[in-house]
Amino acid sequence: MSKYPVVYVVADRPEVFAELIPGALGLGERVEAILAGHPANASGVFSLGADKLLTIAPREREIFENYAPSIAKAISATPNALVLLAADKRGKAMAAKLGKALNAAVINDVNTFDEGKSGHMVYGGLAQGTEKPATDIVVTTVAPGAFEQGELGEGSGETVALDFIEPAHPITLREKRKIKASSVNIGKARRVVGVGRGFAKKEDLALARALADAIGAELACSRPIAEGEHWLERERYVGVSGVAIKPEVYFTLGISGQIQHMVGARDSRTIIVVNKDKNAPIFKFADYGIIGDLYKILPALKKALGK
Amino acid sequence: MKILVCCKIVPEEQDIVIQKDGQLDISRSAAKISQYDLNAIECATRLAGADGEVVALSAGPRKWLDNTKIRKDILSRGPASLHLVMDDALEGAMPDTTASALALAARRIGFDLILCGEGSGDLYAQQVGLLLGEDLNVPNINAVSSVTIENGNVVVERSLEREIEVLELPLPAVLCVTSDINVPKIPTMKAILGAGKKPVEVFSCAELGVKTESLSDYVSIVAPEGRERMNKIFESDSDENIASFIELVRKVVQA
Repeated sequence: MSKYPVVYVVADRPEVFAELIPGALGLGERVEAILAGHPANASGVFSLGADKLLTIAPREREIFENYAPSIAKAISATPNALVLLAADKRGKAMAAKLGKALNAAVINDVNTFDEGKSGHMVYGGLAQGTEKPATDIVVTTVAPGAFEQGELGEGSGETVALDFIEPAHPITLREKRKIKASSVNIGKARRVVGVGRGFAKKEDLALARALADAIGAELACSRPIAEGEHWLERERYVGVSGVAIKPEVYFTLGISGQIQHMVGARDSRTIIVVNKDKNAPIFKFADYGIIGDLYKILPALKKALGK
Repeated sequence: MKILVCCKIVPEEQDIVIQKDGQLDISRSAAKISQYDLNAIECATRLAGADGEVVALSAGPRKWLDNTKIRKDILSRGPASLHLVMDDALEGAMPDTTASALALAARRIGFDLILCGEGSGDLYAQQVGLLLGEDLNVPNINAVSSVTIENGNVVVERSLEREIEVLELPLPAVLCVTSDINVPKIPTMKAILGAGKKPVEVFSCAELGVKTESLSDYVSIVAPEGRERMNKIFESDSDENIASFIELVRKVVQA
């Protein structure tokens, strides 16, 4: 069992360290945290087990991606290393830049690390692909939930400030708008009610909402409802490019059950299906299902399950 | 304004058969344009308007690209011409290899702006567009949800998980657009008929000097075992069935 001499955990905010350092500890002899962003709470990396903290002082109106040359230079001091980033949009943009600068293999959305190999979903989640990188430095973005979550506590340790190196093609930030922070986290819900194309109009989602309220479930949806119709927030979309849920019970209402959706729902303990199309693939995944009109079945369900 | 739009040809995922040992059989899958790249093509044609030129570019093995129907499908969506890096050495190409093939072709073709989808519909590595930008040594960014051209720069909105950024990049540049940047139009019959008359140019890896060994490779691609499901299905929504169904559901919910 070989470990990397150094695992670098790279982030734009300290919360990412709580997500990645606990897992990083098992993959390398040493763990070094690199922060390009506001250093509040950053010393928490030591309570998580990091051996060293490298910081780049945040610059006014600088986007994370512009710190890539500075971060690449710090990592290039080590000939053999694993780099971990969060698997968000920024993490992936940074991964490509680091990969190119360090001539390193880049692997996104990694959910398993095993003996120098990295696993991630392919074919829309139909299969798990396992890659064996050929490079001495490997850059990965880590899928949410791949590691046990830690907590940023109090700590102190070796801290080094890195110099900012101007990128060859700096990207100019004109403006930044917060997206209304969504408190929705269907990924952790014990009960989920999912809606799909079987609903004729947005107002009809009230039926599903009533059921969800009756049983204390979060409302979720298939991709067309979030991305085509915009009836629900994107954070409620279950599927390969959305959220993966693992509730005790998942009600799917008018969802056809394309594999891209089911990939996000396959860890549900019990799946309950209401769909009027008897040929819908969703029925293959059903524990309990009924072929019929959700406008007729939902009110009855809500009435029976409500307190 | 010359916009190069990249698209990957992938197997139709609905036709993929999972074999007993978990291996995927894609031999019966029809070729299709990767769905996320349809957004890039649509974005390119809208951005180019009447004065701009849109050129499509794809890289892959003959199995996917030596296909008149696919070529016409790409061209019916607006591009004026199609360039292909068609080489069997690109069968199962990894993102770094694909990016390098596209970069070498892009240099030959010339461009002001390159648009890519957010990832491919098969491997979804979400790297090719960004690596292409790095290979070409031009500014590049992902998660682009709106694009405008202003005085030789491209101004984009970038949709991140917690915020939206408005960024300015000098041209030439490479952008990876999101899957909700637009709703791709269905090609008209006239566009489909016209597509057959548009030029297609083919390069090989050797002509462009593409190195086909990758920084990483797959050791396995296997479908996970599905959970056993009860599969108790009521065939109609008669009052009796609804009542029995509700009884079962109640047991689950109240367990």
